[in-house]
Amino acid sequence: MNCEEVRSLISEFYDQELNQEISRSLEKHLAGCIECQKEYDSFNKIMKVLNKLKTYDIPRNYLEGMKKKKKQNCFK
Amino acid sequence: MKADEFQLIKSAKEGDREALNDIFAREQKYIFNLMIQLTGDGALADDLTQETFLSAYQNMNKFRLQSSLRTWLSKIAINLFRREYRRKSKHVSICLEEIRIPSKEDIPERIIIKREFQWCILHSLQQHVPKNYRMVLVLRDLQNMSYREISETLSWSISKIKTCIHRGRKILRAHFINGKCKAFAEKDYLCICEEILDL
Repeated sequence: MNCEEVRSLISEFYDQELNQEISRSLEKHLAGCIECQKEYDSFNKIMKVLNKLKTYDIPRNYLEGMKKKKKQNCFK
Repeated sequence: MKADEFQLIKSAKEGDREALNDIFAREQKYIFNLMIQLTGDGALADDLTQETFLSAYQNMNKFRLQSSLRTWLSKIAINLFRREYRRKSKHVSICLEEIRIPSKEDIPERIIIKREFQWCILHSLQQHVPKNYRMVLVLRDLQNMSYREISETLSWSISKIKTCIHRGRKILRAHFINGKCKAFAEKDYLCICEEILDL
Protein backbone atom coordinates (compact mmCIF):
# COMPACT_ATOMS: atom_id res chain seq x y z
CA MET A 1 0.00 0.00 0.00
CA ASN A 2 1.43 3.42 -0.91
CA CYS A 3 1.02 6.79 0.87
CA GLU A 4 -1.74 7.99 -1.47
CA GLU A 5 -3.80 4.86 -0.90
CA VAL A 6 -3.29 5.07 2.86
CA ARG A 7 -4.42 8.69 3.02
CA SER A 8 -7.54 7.97 1.01
CA LEU A 9 -8.49 5.24 3.51
CA ILE A 10 -7.65 7.01 6.78
CA SER A 11 -11.25 8.04 7.41
CA GLU A 12 -12.64 4.52 6.94
CA PHE A 13 -9.76 3.12 8.98
CA TYR A 14 -10.65 5.44 11.86
CA ASP A 15 -14.29 4.31 11.66
CA GLN A 16 -13.20 0.64 11.57
CA GLU A 17 -15.00 0.17 8.27
CA LEU A 18 -12.14 -1.58 6.46
CA ASN A 19 -11.78 -5.33 6.25
CA GLN A 20 -9.08 -6.99 8.33
CA GLU A 21 -6.67 -7.51 5.47
CA ILE A 22 -6.70 -3.86 4.34
CA SER A 23 -6.57 -2.63 7.95
CA ARG A 24 -3.48 -4.69 8.65
CA SER A 25 -1.81 -3.50 5.50
CA LEU A 26 -2.59 0.12 6.43
CA GLU A 27 -1.30 -0.34 9.98
CA LYS A 28 1.88 -1.83 8.59
CA HIS A 29 2.37 1.20 6.34
CA LEU A 30 1.67 3.64 9.21
CA ALA A 31 4.23 1.92 11.40
CA GLY A 32 6.94 2.51 8.82
CA CYS A 33 6.00 5.92 7.37
CA ILE A 34 6.52 9.03 9.51
CA GLU A 35 4.65 11.35 7.12
CA CYS A 36 1.51 9.19 7.06
CA GLN A 37 1.75 8.71 10.82
CA LYS A 38 1.80 12.51 11.23
CA GLU A 39 -1.21 12.80 8.93
CA TYR A 40 -3.10 10.20 10.94
CA ASP A 41 -2.22 11.85 14.28
CA SER A 42 -3.45 15.19 13.03
CA PHE A 43 -6.64 13.54 11.77
CA ASN A 44 -7.12 11.90 15.18
CA LYS A 45 -6.79 15.24 16.94
CA ILE A 46 -9.56 16.77 14.84
CA MET A 47 -11.76 13.78 15.53
CA LYS A 48 -11.11 13.99 19.28
CA VAL A 49 -12.05 17.66 19.29
CA LEU A 50 -15.24 16.97 17.35
CA ASN A 51 -16.21 14.11 19.62
CA LYS A 52 -15.83 16.28 22.69
CA LEU A 53 -18.22 19.00 21.61
CA LYS A 54 -20.86 19.50 24.23
CA THR A 55 -24.51 18.62 23.80
CA TYR A 56 -27.26 21.11 24.42
CA ASP A 57 -30.27 20.69 26.66
CA ILE A 58 -33.60 21.22 24.97
CA PRO A 59 -34.98 24.72 25.61
CA ARG A 60 -38.55 23.43 25.99
CA ASN A 61 -40.65 20.30 25.78
CA TYR A 62 -41.63 19.96 22.13
CA LEU A 63 -44.34 17.47 22.92
CA GLU A 64 -46.10 20.03 25.11
CA GLY A 65 -46.14 22.25 22.06
CA MET A 66 -47.76 19.40 20.15
CA LYS A 67 -50.56 19.17 22.67
CA LYS A 68 -51.24 22.91 22.37
CA LYS A 69 -51.17 22.74 18.58
CA LYS A 70 -53.55 19.82 18.73
CA LYS A 71 -55.97 21.97 20.68
CA GLN A 72 -55.66 24.58 17.95
CA ASN A 73 -56.78 21.95 15.40
CA CYS A 74 -53.43 21.56 13.71
CA PHE A 75 -53.92 17.80 13.53
CA LYS A 76 -56.27 17.25 10.67
CA MET B 1 -34.48 -1.86 17.09
CA LYS B 2 -34.92 -2.67 20.81
CA ALA B 3 -37.90 -4.85 21.75
CA ASP B 4 -39.50 -2.24 24.06
CA GLU B 5 -39.15 0.46 21.40
CA PHE B 6 -40.74 -1.83 18.84
CA GLN B 7 -43.68 -2.53 21.17
CA LEU B 8 -44.16 1.17 22.01
CA ILE B 9 -44.08 2.14 18.33
CA LYS B 10 -46.61 -0.56 17.51
CA SER B 11 -48.91 0.77 20.26
CA ALA B 12 -48.36 4.34 19.06
CA LYS B 13 -49.27 3.40 15.49
CA GLU B 14 -52.44 1.84 16.81
CA GLY B 15 -53.39 5.18 18.39
CA ASP B 16 -51.86 4.97 21.88
CA ARG B 17 -50.94 8.62 22.38
CA GLU B 18 -49.14 7.97 25.65
CA ALA B 19 -46.86 5.47 23.93
CA LEU B 20 -46.27 8.00 21.14
CA ASN B 21 -45.33 10.73 23.61
CA ASP B 22 -43.08 8.31 25.43
CA ILE B 23 -41.04 7.33 22.37
CA PHE B 24 -40.88 10.90 21.04
CA ALA B 25 -39.80 12.26 24.44
CA ARG B 26 -36.70 10.04 24.28
CA GLU B 27 -35.60 11.63 21.00
CA GLN B 28 -36.18 15.35 21.66
CA LYS B 29 -32.68 16.14 22.89
CA TYR B 30 -31.12 14.16 20.05
CA ILE B 31 -33.09 15.95 17.34
CA PHE B 32 -32.55 19.40 18.90
CA ASN B 33 -28.79 18.78 19.03
CA LEU B 34 -28.77 17.53 15.46
CA MET B 35 -30.47 20.75 14.34
CA ILE B 36 -28.24 23.07 16.34
CA GLN B 37 -25.13 21.31 15.00
CA LEU B 38 -26.36 21.67 11.43
CA THR B 39 -27.66 25.24 11.65
CA GLY B 40 -25.59 26.84 14.43
CA ASP B 41 -28.68 28.87 15.25
CA GLY B 42 -30.53 28.12 18.49
CA ALA B 43 -33.79 29.79 17.46
CA LEU B 44 -33.83 28.06 14.06
CA ALA B 45 -32.92 24.71 15.66
CA ASP B 46 -35.81 25.23 18.08
CA ASP B 47 -38.27 25.87 15.21
CA LEU B 48 -37.02 22.95 13.11
CA THR B 49 -37.20 20.56 16.09
CA GLN B 50 -40.78 21.62 16.72
CA GLU B 51 -41.60 21.12 13.03
CA THR B 52 -39.92 17.70 13.04
CA PHE B 53 -42.16 16.42 15.82
CA LEU B 54 -45.25 18.02 14.35
CA SER B 55 -44.53 16.29 11.04
CA ALA B 56 -43.74 13.02 12.82
CA TYR B 57 -47.07 13.15 14.67
CA GLN B 58 -48.91 13.75 11.44
CA ASN B 59 -47.06 11.04 9.51
CA MET B 60 -46.72 8.31 12.12
CA ASN B 61 -48.90 6.04 9.98
CA LYS B 62 -46.24 6.25 7.24
CA PHE B 63 -43.48 4.93 9.53
CA ARG B 64 -42.94 1.35 8.35
CA LEU B 65 -40.60 0.19 11.14
CA GLN B 66 -37.91 -0.56 8.58
CA SER B 67 -35.45 1.69 10.39
CA SER B 68 -35.14 2.84 14.00
CA LEU B 69 -37.39 5.67 15.14
CA ARG B 70 -34.30 7.86 15.57
CA THR B 71 -33.28 7.32 11.95
CA TRP B 72 -36.83 8.08 10.75
CA LEU B 73 -37.02 11.28 12.85
CA SER B 74 -33.55 12.31 11.69
CA LYS B 75 -34.68 11.88 8.10
CA ILE B 76 -37.64 14.23 8.67
CA ALA B 77 -35.37 16.73 10.46
CA ILE B 78 -32.72 16.62 7.71
CA ASN B 79 -35.35 17.23 5.03
CA LEU B 80 -36.58 20.28 6.95
CA PHE B 81 -32.98 21.49 7.24
CA ARG B 82 -32.47 21.03 3.48
CA ARG B 83 -35.62 23.06 2.78
CA GLU B 84 -34.45 25.80 5.16
CA TYR B 85 -30.98 25.79 3.61
CA ARG B 86 -32.43 26.34 0.14
CA ARG B 87 -34.49 29.23 1.46
CA LYS B 88 -31.63 30.96 3.23
CA SER B 89 -28.29 31.75 1.72
CA LYS B 90 -26.07 33.40 4.24
CA HIS B 91 -22.50 33.52 5.32
CA VAL B 92 -20.92 35.97 7.63
CA SER B 93 -17.41 34.84 8.46
CA ILE B 94 -16.63 35.75 12.00
CA CYS B 95 -13.91 33.24 12.79
CA LEU B 96 -11.85 34.02 15.82
CA GLU B 97 -8.47 35.30 14.78
CA GLU B 98 -6.61 35.42 18.02
CA ILE B 99 -7.23 34.13 21.50
CA ARG B 100 -4.81 34.33 24.38
CA ILE B 101 -4.86 31.08 26.27
CA PRO B 102 -5.26 31.71 30.02
CA SER B 103 -2.88 29.97 32.41
CA LYS B 104 -3.85 26.67 34.01
CA GLU B 105 -4.58 28.40 37.34
CA ASP B 106 -7.17 30.63 35.74
CA ILE B 107 -10.08 28.17 35.61
CA PRO B 108 -13.02 30.61 35.02
CA GLU B 109 -11.14 32.23 32.14
CA ARG B 110 -10.39 28.83 30.63
CA ILE B 111 -14.03 27.82 30.80
CA ILE B 112 -14.97 30.94 28.85
CA ILE B 113 -12.26 30.20 26.28
CA LYS B 114 -13.47 26.60 26.04
CA ARG B 115 -16.93 27.88 25.08
CA GLU B 116 -15.38 30.15 22.47
CA PHE B 117 -13.34 27.29 21.01
CA GLN B 118 -16.41 25.09 20.84
CA TRP B 119 -18.23 27.88 19.11
CA CYS B 120 -15.33 28.27 16.67
CA ILE B 121 -15.32 24.56 15.84
CA LEU B 122 -19.08 24.52 15.28
CA HIS B 123 -18.83 27.72 13.25
CA SER B 124 -16.16 26.13 11.05
CA LEU B 125 -18.36 23.12 10.53
CA GLN B 126 -21.47 25.14 9.76
CA GLN B 127 -19.97 27.86 7.61
CA HIS B 128 -16.92 26.33 5.95
CA VAL B 129 -17.94 22.75 5.23
CA PRO B 130 -20.37 22.36 2.29
CA LYS B 131 -23.88 21.27 3.25
CA ASN B 132 -23.73 17.63 2.05
CA TYR B 133 -20.43 16.96 3.79
CA ARG B 134 -21.62 18.78 6.89
CA MET B 135 -24.71 16.60 7.15
CA VAL B 136 -22.70 13.37 7.13
CA LEU B 137 -20.10 14.73 9.56
CA VAL B 138 -22.76 15.80 12.04
CA LEU B 139 -24.56 12.46 11.77
CA ARG B 140 -21.35 10.44 12.00
CA ASP B 141 -19.02 12.39 14.28
CA LEU B 142 -21.40 14.31 16.52
CA GLN B 143 -24.39 11.96 16.58
CA ASN B 144 -22.46 8.68 16.27
CA MET B 145 -24.68 7.17 13.58
CA SER B 146 -23.39 4.12 11.70
CA TYR B 147 -22.74 4.32 7.95
CA ARG B 148 -25.88 2.23 7.38
CA GLU B 149 -28.06 4.55 9.52
CA ILE B 150 -26.72 7.61 7.70
CA SER B 151 -27.45 5.91 4.40
CA GLU B 152 -31.06 5.33 5.50
CA THR B 153 -31.43 8.87 6.86
CA LEU B 154 -30.16 10.62 3.74
CA SER B 155 -31.30 7.99 1.20
CA TRP B 156 -27.76 7.84 -0.19
CA SER B 157 -25.62 4.81 -1.02
CA ILE B 158 -23.00 3.64 1.49
CA SER B 159 -20.23 4.45 -1.00
CA LYS B 160 -21.49 8.05 -1.31
CA ILE B 161 -21.57 8.30 2.51
CA LYS B 162 -17.98 7.04 2.72
CA THR B 163 -16.80 9.56 0.15
CA CYS B 164 -18.60 12.46 1.83
CA ILE B 165 -17.28 11.58 5.30
CA HIS B 166 -13.74 11.38 3.95
CA ARG B 167 -13.96 14.66 2.01
CA GLY B 168 -15.84 16.47 4.78
CA ARG B 169 -13.23 15.58 7.39
CA LYS B 170 -10.48 16.60 5.01
CA ILE B 171 -12.09 20.01 4.40
CA LEU B 172 -12.63 20.61 8.11
CA ARG B 173 -9.06 19.67 8.93
CA ALA B 174 -7.71 21.83 6.11
CA HIS B 175 -9.81 24.71 7.35
CA PHE B 176 -8.26 24.54 10.81
CA ILE B 177 -4.75 24.17 9.55
CA ASN B 178 -4.70 26.40 6.46
CA GLY B 179 -7.67 28.69 6.84
CA LYS B 180 -8.75 31.42 9.14
CA CYS B 181 -7.66 29.48 12.22
CA LYS B 182 -4.06 29.47 11.03
CA ALA B 183 -3.10 31.56 14.02
CA PHE B 184 -4.05 28.65 16.21
CA ALA B 185 -2.45 26.05 13.98
CA GLU B 186 0.87 27.86 14.18
CA LYS B 187 0.72 27.79 17.95
CA ASP B 188 -0.15 24.11 17.98
CA TYR B 189 -3.79 25.13 18.17
CA LEU B 190 -5.19 21.60 18.10
CA CYS B 191 -3.22 20.55 21.16
CA ILE B 192 -4.31 23.65 23.05
CA CYS B 193 -7.86 23.15 21.90
CA GLU B 194 -7.88 19.57 23.04
CA GLU B 195 -6.43 20.54 26.40
CA ILE B 196 -9.07 23.23 26.85
CA LEU B 197 -11.88 20.84 25.96
CA ASP B 198 -10.57 18.47 28.66
CA LEU B 199 -11.38 21.02 31.35
